[in-house]
Amino acid sequence: MGIDWTVIRAIAKRELGSYLGNPAGYVFLTLFIAATGAGAFLQPGFFARNLADLALLNKVMPAILMLFVPAVTMNVWAEERRRGTDELLLTMPVRDIEVVLGKYLGALGVYTIGLGFALAHVGVLAQLGDPDSGLMASTYLGYWLVGVAFVSVGLLASMFSSNATVAFIVGAVGCAGLVFAGSAPWASGIVGCGLIAGAATLIWVAVQGNADSAGYVAVGGGVLALIVWLTGTFESFQDTFGLLGVERHFYGFGEGIVRLGDVVYFLGIAVVLVYLCTFMLGRRHW
Amino acid sequence: MSTSSAPVTIRANAISKVYGDFVAVHGLSFAVRKGTVAAFLGPNGAGKSTTMKMLTGYLAPSSGSVEVLGKDPGVAESRIELARRLGYLPENGPLYLDMTPRELLEFFAQVRKLGEIDKAIDRVVQQCAIQEVLHKPIGKLSKGFRQRVGMAQALLSDPDVLILDEPTSGLDPLQIREVRKLIRELGQQKTILLSTHILQEVEAVADTVIMVHEGRLVFDGTVAELREGDQTLEQRFYALAGGSQETTASATASTTKKAKAN
Repeated sequence: MGIDWTVIRAIAKRELGSYLGNPAGYVFLTLFIAATGAGAFLQPGFFARNLADLALLNKVMPAILMLFVPAVTMNVWAEERRRGTDELLLTMPVRDIEVVLGKYLGALGVYTIGLGFALAHVGVLAQLGDPDSGLMASTYLGYWLVGVAFVSVGLLASMFSSNATVAFIVGAVGCAGLVFAGSAPWASGIVGCGLIAGAATLIWVAVQGNADSAGYVAVGGGVLALIVWLTGTFESFQDTFGLLGVERHFYGFGEGIVRLGDVVYFLGIAVVLVYLCTFMLGRRHW
Repeated sequence: MSTSSAPVTIRANAISKVYGDFVAVHGLSFAVRKGTVAAFLGPNGAGKSTTMKMLTGYLAPSSGSVEVLGKDPGVAESRIELARRLGYLPENGPLYLDMTPRELLEFFAQVRKLGEIDKAIDRVVQQCAIQEVLHKPIGKLSKGFRQRVGMAQALLSDPDVLILDEPTSGLDPLQIREVRKLIRELGQQKTILLSTHILQEVEAVADTVIMVHEGRLVFDGTVAELREGDQTLEQRFYALAGGSQETTASATASTTKKAKAN
C-alpha cells in the first residue's frame, strides 16, 4: 500500500501551526531576515561593487543556514519525545514514513516561509539597481535547495535526543560538516571520518537488529577512517569527501546556472536522510 | 460483562521485554475476552505500561507474541489495521499543549481519516464532558481536564478495544467517579484493559484482574477470585506484590492452570 498524503498533510500542518503559533518562531524568522540582510548589504564592498546581486550573501548563506535550520528542526522530535506525544502519534493508523514526511515537510514549510520573507532583499536590490530576475530566481532556488538538504540533517539530529539543545548542536555540526567539507582539505577529512563512523554504526545496527555497543562501533569506525586518512592509505580520501561539500554544488545557483547534478545532490541528501529518519523511528520495534 | 465463551480479543503469549541487562517484563501470558473490563493491576514499576506499549504496537516484545483483535501489532500493515479499531490513552495522558482540545481532536480525526469528523468530535466531547474547555489551550487546562481530553482522543474512532494506562491518575474524587462511570458504560460494548495500582478502581470497574509484579504474572482471574477467603483485596495485593515466595508461587500456579484452560 502507498503512502497517504492526507495524513502527511495533517502532520505537516500541525508542525507548521505549532511553530508559527509560538512567539519563538517569529523571533527566529526575524533573526533570519536580519542575518541574511546583513550578509547581503552590510558587508564591506557591497556598494563599491556597484552590482545589484546577492554575491556577498551567497558566500555566507550556507553558514547562516547551518545555524538557522537546526534551530527550526531541533524541536521536531525532541519535543514529541520529551512530552511523550510520540507514543500517541505512533500508535495511530499511520506508517512511519508518513509521520517522517509530515514532519519534514512541516519544517521545510517553516524554512520556506522564512525564505519568502527574505525575498524582501530582492526588493531592496530593485530600489538600488536593476537585478537580473533569472539570476535572482536561480539564487533563491539554490537557497531553498540548501534548506531542503539541511532540514533533513536537522530532522535526523532531532531524533538522537529528547533535549532540544543537544538536537540543535548535533544538527549544526552535521550541517557544518557539509558546509566546510569542500572548503578545506582538513574539513573534508573530518567529514569523511564522521560519515564512515556513521555508516559503520548504521550497518552494525541494521545487522545486529539492536543498538547495543553501537557507540563502540562508531568510535572504532571513526578511528579507522582517521588512520586511513592520516597515513595516506587511500590517497584521494580528502578529495572524495570534498565532493560532498555544499559550496561546490551551491556556487552555480549564485551565478545563474542551474545544473541537474547540483539539484540531484541536494534532493539526494534529503531522500537519504529522510529514509534514515524512518529507519531510526523503526528502532522502537527492536 | 463477558462470558467465558466470548472470543479472546487481547492475547499475550509469553511476552518479555529486555532493556540491556534489565528485564522489564518476564514471559507474560494472559488473555482478555470480548466485552470484558480487565484491570491490569500492579505496583509502580511492575511492567504494566511496558506491556501496554507492546499491546498497542508502540514497542515490540523482545520475545513472545501479541495478538489484539486477531492482529499482530508487530507487523506494520497489521498494526495499522489494528490501530483503526484501537483507542489508547498512554501513561500521564501526553497531549500537544499548544493546541486546543478541538484542534487536537480535529488533528487526530484527520490522521485517523475519520469520515464524519464533526459528528465524531461532538460525540466524544459529550462523553467526556469537555464542552467548556473545547477552545482553551490544553497547556492551560487542569490535570483532570487534560486527562478527559486524552480519553476523548482515545474514544474518537469509537474503537472496539480501549487500552487505558492509569486513566484516573491525578484526578480529584469527583472526576474519578465520572471517569469510572464512563468506563463502566463503555465496557457494555467494548473490550477494555486499564492499568491501575488502585484497588478501589479494580472493585469499581473491573470484571477480571491481571496482576503483575516485577514483570511477572502473579494473578489472573475475576475480582471475586482475587479476594480469596477472608482476605481483603488490600491484603491479597500485599501478599502478591510484596509477600512471601510461597504466596506468589501458589498464585502463579493457579494462574498457569487458568492460562492453560484459556
